[in-house]
Amino acid sequence: MKQEHFVQRHQPEWIAFEHWLDARGERARKARAERRSWHGLSDADMPSRYRRLCQQLALARRRGYSPVVTDRLQALMHRGHGLLYRTPVPHWRRAAEFLIAGFPRLVRAERGCMLASFALFWIPLVVIFAAIQWQPELSSSLFDPVQLLQFEHMYDPADPARKLGRDDGTDLAMFGHYVWNNVSIGFKTFASGLIAGVGSIVVLITNGVMIGGVAGHLQAVGHGDPFWRFVAGHSAPELTAIVIAGGAGLRLGLSLVAPGQRRRADALIEGGRRGALLCVGVLAMLVFAAFVEAFWSSIAWMPAWIKYTVGGVLWTLTAAWLLLGGRNLPAEDAGA
Amino acid sequence: MLDTYREVVTPEGVALHLPAAGPVPRALAWLIDFGIRCGVMMAMGMFLGAFGRGGAGVYAVVMFLVFWFYPVVFEAMWNGRTPGKRSLGLRVIAANGAPIGWLAAFTRNLLRVVDMLPLAYATGLVTTLLDPWGRRLGDMVAGTLVVHDARPRDPQPAVVDTALAPSIALRPYEQAALVAFAERAPRLSEARQAELADLAEPLTGARGTAAVTRMYRMANWLLGRR
Repeated sequence: MKQEHFVQRHQPEWIAFEHWLDARGERARKARAERRSWHGLSDADMPSRYRRLCQQLALARRRGYSPVVTDRLQALMHRGHGLLYRTPVPHWRRAAEFLIAGFPRLVRAERGCMLASFALFWIPLVVIFAAIQWQPELSSSLFDPVQLLQFEHMYDPADPARKLGRDDGTDLAMFGHYVWNNVSIGFKTFASGLIAGVGSIVVLITNGVMIGGVAGHLQAVGHGDPFWRFVAGHSAPELTAIVIAGGAGLRLGLSLVAPGQRRRADALIEGGRRGALLCVGVLAMLVFAAFVEAFWSSIAWMPAWIKYTVGGVLWTLTAAWLLLGGRNLPAEDAGA
Repeated sequence: MLDTYREVVTPEGVALHLPAAGPVPRALAWLIDFGIRCGVMMAMGMFLGAFGRGGAGVYAVVMFLVFWFYPVVFEAMWNGRTPGKRSLGLRVIAANGAPIGWLAAFTRNLLRVVDMLPLAYATGLVTTLLDPWGRRLGDMVAGTLVVHDARPRDPQPAVVDTALAPSIALRPYEQAALVAFAERAPRLSEARQAELADLAEPLTGARGTAAVTRMYRMANWLLGRR
């Protein structure tokens, strides 16, 4: 069949299909509202029309028709394909379900990477802290003197009027700062894991050393009390989130180094998908931590025992959530 | 083939040819987006500056959203196009040709961190040049692809309305070349048309404008216009 005849014969079908895509394919809600007033190609016929179109495209290519026809058919087919095979739209209920149950399950599913990340973060932290208690001058080899003075100033027990843990700035300003700063660190910890995990390892160890150094120094110079009162509240979600982001990064690096029985490309896609899901949870944890840090941790007049109780409760809740969340759900892919 | 097409065979068994985009248009699109982001941040800075200290907090949150989520939201909600990509005619799609979902958009933009290393997207540029479909690391991990949007081609009315059977039997690729000439030549200058038609002298047996007209008539015959 010559090209012109082919076009003449099938043109009306293509136009009807195109009309359907324009009118019905854009938004599901609009399509539902207008279903009574629509008189073109019926929705139920769309898949079969689409398959017919695919067949016509294959024929047109086989017969060597010109790009005027094949490009047009391919454009129509691509639109139809996008509509039939798109990723499902996320729902709010699913999002809540993911945060409560799916995320902890995903963390537990990656327990090897999470434990490694935990060790990479906490061992340097504790070692540096202990070392500074033993040899206080070690802190000056980690930080320069101006920084040390600044830390001491921020947690000065002789200045009860100042807010804990900050130079200046209102609660709201600090909230914004913490969101920007901490979530960026979390995301970077994950993403830099793509370099065979090295990036995540470096970030985890550096953060462990820094935090251990600051805590150790303040404890050693006798500014420990305001510091512990400040960090008691937000430390649970914040430090755990960094550990999880690091674990997700290690997972990603591992799928590059040791893809197992899959092609490296496929292993990376799976690692990236899981990592991105973990990052959604990390984002939620860090925003919560920033909220606590800005509006609760900085309150200086609160008695220490309340601060420590709240801190303990938050640590217990975080641990319980991560260890027990979603246990009773039927076994399925946590990230769906 | 020299073209950087990615062929995706759909479940229907027909291949989609997706024209992958190279680093230059993508860098330009990124620059446009960067300009828009800077503009938004400057406008927010002026607006929130009026609110003093509290404004600084909101500013930091806005900066966070613009830095990390501007591309994610546009790509997921606007069918794979940020304003910059839209103006360059680019689109992000999943590797199987379907529209990109939220998670894939999030993944590919999180991994910009690695593509930016060590500076100015150097890693991204190198991987884009090495990969047959011009994907950066983020695209590989997210399973996505940046493609050129198909330009609609309007069928042109025939220039000449008579048909002429070719004097010899033409092979399929020769037929395709003839039809392609008839479809694209009307956009060329007369001299160029004649120059191209002269190449087919053994077929047309003429030169210059006469050859052009004969080529058009043969194309009409091949397409079935009589």
